Amino acid sequence: MGLFIVLGIVFVAIFCPYLAPYDPDRQFWGDEWAPPSSKFIFGTDDLGRDVYSRVLWGARTSIMVGLVSVSIIAFLGTFIGSIAGYFGGVVDQVIMRITDIILTIPTLILLLLISSVLRTRNLFIIMSVIGLLGWPSMARIVRSQYLSFKEFNFVEAAKTIGTSDIKIIFKHILPNALSPIIVVSTLRIATSILTEASLSFLGFGDPTAITWGLMLHRGHIAVRTAPWVAIIPGLAIFITVIGFNLLGDALRDALDVRL
Amino acid sequence: MMKDPLLKIRGLKTYFYTDEGVVKAVDNVDLDIYKGETLGLVGESGCGKSTMALSIMKLIQKPGRIIDGEIFFSETDILKLKDNEVRNIRGGLISMIFQDPLSSLNPVYTIGNQISEAVEIHQKTSDKKEVKDIVLKSMKEVGIPDTELRYSDYPFQFSGGMRQRVMIAMALSCQPQLLIADEPTTSLDVTIQAQILDLMNSLRKIFDTSILLITHNLGIVAEIADKVAVMYAGKVIEYGDSITIFKNYLHPYTKALMGSIPRVDLKQDKLEMIPGTVPSLTNPPPGCRFWPRCKYATEECKEVEPPLIEVEPGHKAACIRYDKINFEEHSE
Repeated sequence: MGLFIVLGIVFVAIFCPYLAPYDPDRQFWGDEWAPPSSKFIFGTDDLGRDVYSRVLWGARTSIMVGLVSVSIIAFLGTFIGSIAGYFGGVVDQVIMRITDIILTIPTLILLLLISSVLRTRNLFIIMSVIGLLGWPSMARIVRSQYLSFKEFNFVEAAKTIGTSDIKIIFKHILPNALSPIIVVSTLRIATSILTEASLSFLGFGDPTAITWGLMLHRGHIAVRTAPWVAIIPGLAIFITVIGFNLLGDALRDALDVRL
Repeated sequence: MMKDPLLKIRGLKTYFYTDEGVVKAVDNVDLDIYKGETLGLVGESGCGKSTMALSIMKLIQKPGRIIDGEIFFSETDILKLKDNEVRNIRGGLISMIFQDPLSSLNPVYTIGNQISEAVEIHQKTSDKKEVKDIVLKSMKEVGIPDTELRYSDYPFQFSGGMRQRVMIAMALSCQPQLLIADEPTTSLDVTIQAQILDLMNSLRKIFDTSILLITHNLGIVAEIADKVAVMYAGKVIEYGDSITIFKNYLHPYTKALMGSIPRVDLKQDKLEMIPGTVPSLTNPPPGCRFWPRCKYATEECKEVEPPLIEVEPGHKAACIRYDKINFEEHSE
């Protein structure tokens, strides 16, 4: 179920230029706040732009936000967590305390702060911040995996044939620790998409990007008179997040991961 | 006749620093292994046998530390080497096989892949074909059938005995000079045990490899060891060639060990038991460490720590009363 939803959204994200009936930024003068009709399936927004086309294009932004930020999370989390878990001792203590500190920083608040200080609201910065603040939970999970796997005999056996630490960390233990990394990554895609949507909804997102959060933001002022402008992107966010969560849960059951 | 030993351990002390105190797992041990010979290291659980093995590989984990001693491996002191230099020795010159072959192989890689790794690290060849040839050859040497097919199998497709063969193939693929076998047959059933021991024995003859065989099974020692060292509570208490140890043991502990083997040629109602347990290594008894369990102990034993003395050429024992005890009058 989750897989179908996610595949559908990814499909839309890739092929949105062909699926969308109109240019998402094209303004139909005189057709502002147009209700759903055969011409505009989901109506138009305050500037007369086709909501249907914009929702399709929004999938691309959301998927991009999810993938880029989670790639950063997965990479940093795995790297840092594996070093901490494998070496243990002082290295572990120092890394985990830094992790705890970063875990206390609320992502959304920091993003609000950054966008108000920098005055440039750039999708790239948003994705990076979500990624750079998101790795601690991943690092903790990876660390716990390494703590248990490093006690396994095959690790010691690898040492006795002269394998280096780096090779043991990335070649021998990592493939064994991969399932929880995959599960957590999938679930984190959903939260990252949600964070970006919240930010955009608050009006601090990238104003030039076509995002569902921004559409919600523009639609909420007219939710009584033109509900389609807010409801459609809201539904899109809902379905996407549900989709990734279902996929994550299914993967967790399939890969038998205990989190 | 006396060559220089291949491995010469002098005054090795490996201690574990725990919250409850310092555990002296290996305390002042001297040991020699000569080229091409098999040394059986025997002792009860927890007497420091495995710690010895890991010390030789310099793989002691925290909170353990090798605090003193020298381990000469043909002229070089392993303990003075840097980490990357030790890595060249591990697997290349000294290999190790473990008690539990089931968990010693990485479940996510094929057998061929894992043996190749050892070859790639030490043979300094990156030619895929050449590596594979070496791997297939060593698989054949340890008696794995259908090597071509089995090359790409995963560990779970192998039985316990076959996995131990894989471990041995991995250990021998780089033709080490010393093979440390830490209870290599304990988790295998008896017929497979015999096969694995035969295999180790014949490979030793082919490659002229020395073997340090760690076990608590005296039967295995009798079968393949040339020399025997008996360990008790972190110390070697008797050392000699295996016939001497089995026939002319001098230390009461060795005697007690021998008495605890079931024998078919004698009618025994009960096996002789060693009373008590291995003393705590945090706080070993003063004097001889065996006196609380020794039926020949005297007051002197409680005070004097017995040195390991050469009783006759090639036979050492650490008992101050070795020449006074007459085992015969006590045996039934």
